[in-house]
Amino acid sequence: MSRGVLAVAESVDGHLAASGREAAAAARSLSEGGTVTGLVLGTALAGPAGELSRAGVDRVLTMEAPALEGRRALPWAAGIAAAAAATSASVVVLPGTAFGRELAGAVGSLWDAPATAGVTEIVGSDAEGIEVARPAFGGRATQRLKLTGPRIVLALRANSVPPAPPAAVPAPIEPIPAPELAAGILAGEPVGFAAAASTGGPELTQAAIVVSGGRGLKAPENFALLEELARSLGAAVGASRAVTDAGWKPSSYQVGQTGKSVAPQLYVAVGISGAIQHLVGMMSSRVIVAINSDPNAPIFRVADFGIVGDLFQIVPALTAEIRRVRGLAEPGRSPGA
Amino acid sequence: MEILVLVKPVPESESRLRPSPDGRQLDTEGVKFVLAGYDESAVEQALLLKESVPGSKVRAVALGPAARAEEVLRATLALGCDAATLLEAPPGRELDGAETARALALAAAKGPADLILLGKQSGDQETGILPTALAARIGRPGFSNVLDLRWDPGSNRFRFARATEAGEERWEVPAPLVVGLQQAWNDPRTAKLQNILRSRKLPIDRIPAAEVAAALGPAPRESATKFLLPPPRTGAKMIEYGRPEEAAEQLVRILRDTARVLP
Repeated sequence: MSRGVLAVAESVDGHLAASGREAAAAARSLSEGGTVTGLVLGTALAGPAGELSRAGVDRVLTMEAPALEGRRALPWAAGIAAAAAATSASVVVLPGTAFGRELAGAVGSLWDAPATAGVTEIVGSDAEGIEVARPAFGGRATQRLKLTGPRIVLALRANSVPPAPPAAVPAPIEPIPAPELAAGILAGEPVGFAAAASTGGPELTQAAIVVSGGRGLKAPENFALLEELARSLGAAVGASRAVTDAGWKPSSYQVGQTGKSVAPQLYVAVGISGAIQHLVGMMSSRVIVAINSDPNAPIFRVADFGIVGDLFQIVPALTAEIRRVRGLAEPGRSPGA
Repeated sequence: MEILVLVKPVPESESRLRPSPDGRQLDTEGVKFVLAGYDESAVEQALLLKESVPGSKVRAVALGPAARAEEVLRATLALGCDAATLLEAPPGRELDGAETARALALAAAKGPADLILLGKQSGDQETGILPTALAARIGRPGFSNVLDLRWDPGSNRFRFARATEAGEERWEVPAPLVVGLQQAWNDPRTAKLQNILRSRKLPIDRIPAAEVAAALGPAPRESATKFLLPPPRTGAKMIEYGRPEEAAEQLVRILRDTARVLP
């Protein structure tokens, strides 16, 4: 059954966020031949709109308004509901970000539609509705649920849907006016921003590969070993609570129950024993590798592949091997030098 | 300041998870439902704000089967909340997020609140959509993933940080406001025994299931279809090796050719 689907994308530093490409790809699979419309909201949208126009959508709408600057869920939701109505979309797909979850709630209420978030799989779709799967209980279970009715709202989980290959011909881009927004939902204003301590790689919850370190690294300066490994993989760097509590790394690095939940394609736990606190934050990862000197470390029970050994020898060997197979230069040497 | 703090009864974190007999959802037989996760932080933050702003009152609100909801509301009263409202869930009716927001809006409508506080996501389903679903329902600004929530009496505004993938935004927003909390200033407190005993006798306001049902749509729009547990982890396949380089070669070969997770 073909249906119109609206895919909403966020932008980061003037570019389309990867989560927007994933939303576009999921929208395409749900459309079953119907029209897929991409939507970007805010200000200075030319860059992200151009990128979205090659992400597998049939057309792109740009909703430009100062009131949509900054990420406020309710004004965005009003804009999304208006765009859905204008395009006769029956499904809205939202990106797998923290803000995507906020949008799912607000769009669900404004559009009076069932909504869910953290979707890792579209299980099925028929004339009644859409069945999806999402992790629950800290990744200890998967709940499948079916949303039904003439309007449905889904927010994805990052890294769950492969983005479409870039289209050769860009989809047309058109502006759409923002709806009138009630003053009440625009009360207050952003007064500052502190960028997260940069790990030099992708953001932790959005990364396809995460390399995390624990107390087994013995000292904060030894994180350099992990950072080298992460660079060779294009991975984000995370840490266990022991590490962030000890102040070796800022709390923004923490993976676990009281930190960030991650579900990358590949999770490499180095020198992490595997306290339940940590496990619930990473157990949904597709493939888990553990490197630890203690053969009885609980992390080996949840890992798919394990290496018992001295991480100070294993990690550099692993970095060198990954560089070799990926054809990457050693650091400090320019390619071809 | 009038604060509403919304809490959800969720299975104790040590509960054994298994599918219900029909396979659709968690089997709740014998499972203890408690106040947990981000909701505990929300209650702690509500009490900290109450203590820092003289004359403040905190009302806890829970939606669920009566016995479970009463249990978590008694826990909030033992911790220091001043009053409690129990929204009886219509038995057997599955609610989507927008409908849950409609039900909770009934409690919000009983008296003006300057702040409606809840955990950024529940401790069981972890969908994380309710703070903004409720905000949109009642037409008030709503923010989730909030940390460091302060009240500035001079400007009559809340000041807070909000976590995003890129970093922390700082906001100043006047009351009334809906906040999905990521972290309170402190770790959640524990209740004193005498307060636990005293809380058993305190009154709880009730909104009956019929009134909740009347606020919902005509038919459910969301239903659980299957509750799946991951296949039991059999433990890692351990890589046997002599030199570290051999371990690295084997692992990379597996990740690239078998698991196909290398870029």
